Amino acid sequence: MTRKQRRLTMIVGSLVVLGIAAGLVLNALRDSIVFFSTPMMVSEKHIQPGQRFRLGGLVQTGSLVRGENLAVTFKVSDGSATLPVAYTGILPDLFREGQGVVAEGALDSSGVFQADTVLAKHDETYMPKEVADALKKQGHWKDDYGARAGAVEASGKQEVSQ
Amino acid sequence: MIAEAGHFALVLALGLALIQSVVPIIGARLHDGALMNVARSTALAQLLFVGASFFALATLYVVSDFSVVNVFQNSHSLKPLIYKITGVWGNHEGSMLLWVTILALFGGLVAAFGNNLPLTLRAHVLAVQGWIATAFYLFILLTSNPFMRIANPPMEGRDLNPVLQDIGLAVHPPMLYLGYVGFSIAFSFAVAALIEGRIDAAWARWVRPWTLVAWIFLTLGIAMGSYWAYYELGWGGWWFWDPVENASLMPWLAGTALLHSSVVMEKRNALRVWTILLAILTFSLSLLGTFLVRSGVLTSVHAFATDPTRGVFILLILCTFIGGSLTLYVWRASALKQGGLFAPISREGALVLNNLFLTTACATVFIGTLYPLALEVITGNRISVGAPFFNLTFAPLFVPLLIAVPFGPLLAWKRGDLLGASQRLVAAGVASAIAVAVLWAWTRGGSTFAPLAIGLAVFVIVGALCDLAERINLFRASLPVSFRRAKGLPRSAWGTVFAHAGLGVALIGIVCETTWNTEYITSMKTNDVAQVGGYSLTFEGTTQQQRSNYREDIARFTVSRNGQPIAVMTPSKRNFTTRAASTTEAALLTRGVSQLYISLGDASADGSIAVRIYHKPMVLLIWFGPVLMAFGGVLSLSDRRLRVGAPKPAKAGRVLQPAE
Amino acid sequence: MTLWFVFALMTAGAAFAVLWPLGRSSKRRISGGSETTVYRDQLAEVGRDAAAGLIGEPEAAAARVEIGRRLLEAADAESHQPRESKLWLRRAVAVIALVGIPLLALVVYLPLGSPQLPDFPLAARIQTADASQSLGTLVAQVESHLEKNPADGRGWTVLAPVLAKLGRFDAAARAYRNVITYEGETAQRRSDLGTAIAGAANGIVTAEAKKEFERALALNPREAKARFFLGMAAQQDGRTAEAVTIWKALLADAPADAEWRATVQEALAQVGDGAPRPTDEAVAAASDMKEADRSAMIHRMVDRLAARLKQDGNDVEGWLRLARAYMVLNQPEKSRAVRDDARRALGQNEAGLRQLNEGFKALGIDG
Repeated sequence: MTRKQRRLTMIVGSLVVLGIAAGLVLNALRDSIVFFSTPMMVSEKHIQPGQRFRLGGLVQTGSLVRGENLAVTFKVSDGSATLPVAYTGILPDLFREGQGVVAEGALDSSGVFQADTVLAKHDETYMPKEVADALKKQGHWKDDYGARAGAVEASGKQEVSQ
Repeated sequence: MIAEAGHFALVLALGLALIQSVVPIIGARLHDGALMNVARSTALAQLLFVGASFFALATLYVVSDFSVVNVFQNSHSLKPLIYKITGVWGNHEGSMLLWVTILALFGGLVAAFGNNLPLTLRAHVLAVQGWIATAFYLFILLTSNPFMRIANPPMEGRDLNPVLQDIGLAVHPPMLYLGYVGFSIAFSFAVAALIEGRIDAAWARWVRPWTLVAWIFLTLGIAMGSYWAYYELGWGGWWFWDPVENASLMPWLAGTALLHSSVVMEKRNALRVWTILLAILTFSLSLLGTFLVRSGVLTSVHAFATDPTRGVFILLILCTFIGGSLTLYVWRASALKQGGLFAPISREGALVLNNLFLTTACATVFIGTLYPLALEVITGNRISVGAPFFNLTFAPLFVPLLIAVPFGPLLAWKRGDLLGASQRLVAAGVASAIAVAVLWAWTRGGSTFAPLAIGLAVFVIVGALCDLAERINLFRASLPVSFRRAKGLPRSAWGTVFAHAGLGVALIGIVCETTWNTEYITSMKTNDVAQVGGYSLTFEGTTQQQRSNYREDIARFTVSRNGQPIAVMTPSKRNFTTRAASTTEAALLTRGVSQLYISLGDASADGSIAVRIYHKPMVLLIWFGPVLMAFGGVLSLSDRRLRVGAPKPAKAGRVLQPAE
Repeated sequence: MTLWFVFALMTAGAAFAVLWPLGRSSKRRISGGSETTVYRDQLAEVGRDAAAGLIGEPEAAAARVEIGRRLLEAADAESHQPRESKLWLRRAVAVIALVGIPLLALVVYLPLGSPQLPDFPLAARIQTADASQSLGTLVAQVESHLEKNPADGRGWTVLAPVLAKLGRFDAAARAYRNVITYEGETAQRRSDLGTAIAGAANGIVTAEAKKEFERALALNPREAKARFFLGMAAQQDGRTAEAVTIWKALLADAPADAEWRATVQEALAQVGDGAPRPTDEAVAAASDMKEADRSAMIHRMVDRLAARLKQDGNDVEGWLRLARAYMVLNQPEKSRAVRDDARRALGQNEAGLRQLNEGFKALGIDG
């Protein structure tokens, strides 16, 4: 093979691999992305039952009810709307009423958010990023959360799930 | 005085870095040896001053000098000594100081041990290091100064964050930084080559040890971080594909590609332009990684925006170094001469394939990590790209790479013989087929994917051993001959075997853990028994203990198998009274390379306690694999070829006959 | 003085590091490594591998040819390097090192550093603190004692009111919680806890605080402090009538010599208990009346905050809250006035000023 042909082989080979990778990425971006919503966005957008998304907000004080076999229910609020959440399992250490929370799952037919994961972060004063942004937009943001959240990034690894 | 002296030392280091950035380049232009050698003494002096500065900050932490804002905010007089010291880099300012200290350390090492480098190259490399150092000194002094003081110091520090008090987390960042910053040397070599407009096979050999060192530390750092997350966070996960982890994975992938392409360049003087680009990209990704974590962009786009000086400074550094070096690359790379020729089926070809897949995989991680940030900035929509995305993109790209791994070392340089290589891999193929068949029969009806993946892992491991057997003529020559050949084999060949086998080992661990991991979540009362993974765990109750700064509820489980008691496991929950925080301490029981894992949830009013029990088969292999890989790296590093030391008389090469 | 001596010494060291290579090697030829070394070594390696049978003889021969070509090229390039040295340039660099480094160091260090401050290692400070026991050190000592012995309920009992008096309400609330945990609950302790929580919220009786007061009343229905604050809660929620009822009842029960009578009377005077109460029908009749009522209440709260800040201007958060409130009430000109007042009040407090400016920027009131 001449130099030109060899180079051509390499370029074609690379393009094939890159093409496959691009296909995989696009496919994955279509299927496996999870959107983030607050209770108000849920009520506005009429999200279909069964569609997965992340729900963020504050755990409403007094709403946590523990049931049989580690089943819990609580309400997530963003100041304008609230959404009931059901979850079975162990809540993270930092889960607390009145604190920010992010849960992943889907709505069931009766409008209850069935969470399969509940995310919490390292520091007890830490506010999950999406929640902070959403609350800020709606004006329910306490400034000192921001300052404290900034201090937490020092922990090196801050995005840790459940 | 300690604080101010440390502060002043940092300022002096800035002055030295400025001189180091300019004078050696002038010297190289004029071929003035003395001016070029200024690089060396300033690099060493810089190390001395930054080292003193870091030591000063550590001392301030140890003596709890709360007149220093940084100490006040991040320490507490009651912390155990070890966590006072590790607390130095448990915060933004301190960790940036650690970053530049390691940068100066690498610069100092090049200055001290770079006798084998041509003068101009060494001058250029150290000058580029000086640029990086200058940028970071300015960043620290102007926006993240750890030596700021309070005139009326408070009596007690603020922070005693319980989660951060863990030895795993304490050691993990310095390891990662040694990796990240180590790649700065490869970057400096690349920029130096572009400045000189000349690059050849010798360059690759000079860069290789530095890249290897960085790669070894990064490998260990990532593995350690993963293990820390596994045992400390209490729910048994070991990799979350979160941006912080991805930030360290990307330079690792690019760095691995760089290691392989520099072999091609060293042996065959080919792929030169590509290798330069990889060196630049690897360090750029390291910078990006440092800043993704440090800038607060991940915590909140707003956190980034509310501290504009820091954010803008960070962006400026990123743009200058990544943009600048890539511009230089575009401008100068075409001037570099073309490299050697080779056929697609050859060792070079295999390494190109490796590079292709590694960089593509790296690109998918890059997209998955930054796409949500970009989307939020552009459209305001918030999405999360989690594990499913990476499983769908990263994994398919790694499969062909893993299939190709055993073939590479068996192909000859220039033009290889694929058929011959395949024949030599028959043993690996057979072993892999047997593994698949056995697993299939054993786990009938289970996952079809897992046996195939393990078959692939077996293929990689046995393939690496086949390569070894081939090289030492095992079974074809007599055992003593083979043994002699094994001893004579270059250490780098051994390194390849270990690193490739490590990859397979880690894969087995990953597949076993994800497929056959048993999770059992329940709430237990005293004397309840849980059956998990063939073990029975009896809950014997909880006891409460008061420790120095927390109260600990310790649960006691006796573990038995087939009626035989094996061990007692004591997971606990710690309540830090004064901080009103609690942490979960998981209990681990290692059986071979598998583990039982218990972590506690909340206790309910009726005296029962929520318990999470996992049986994780083969889980330790996940971290044992990277350790093997790093060990391979160390072997490779100790290879005599990389130890070409001080300039020797012209005949030195011939004197170095094999001693074996 | 020692400090400046150390600085001078360090600067001299740094300058010396630059000067050393300049002075040393003007005569001696400085040697570096070269590419030829690498290629010679590669040749040797090929020989070794061939001898060991790791590569075949034809490959070895081809490799030798290739490396040989590189070796020649490299040797060629090296011999072409002219060497020159310009004395004036070295002198210039020397001058830069001698003048530039100290100058730069001072220019950068002086605005950032605090050379006048001595070290404050904690151990030494605790020793000297014994001589002049200030309240601050005492509190710190008790706190560090309690950090080690969190179950010491009596310690918490001593500490809690001191913290509340010092205005550290968050810490005080925590301390009272610990008092209740370790010493048992009483109506008094519950209402102290409630007061601390309310204090932390700048005097607003939050739901959390209210719960504590209600708990206190459950333990002792005559607990005066809890009743007073429950009245406060009602007043803050806009149920003025209820507040008046509670306070009046409280006054009726109060012993004539109780010190807090005056406080209650003052509170009553503030809400103007003489004013005729709106009848329930009137409230029900006009729902927009309720809206107006609420807005009046907001205005009252804002005014109270403004009054408090006039007395204690050091509360950055407070200033920002006030400015934000005016923005919400559509009175941006008042926000701007708040900004000017805040700047005046904070005066020398630089950290506070910075926080303030950022806050205002976030509010969209710039410069």
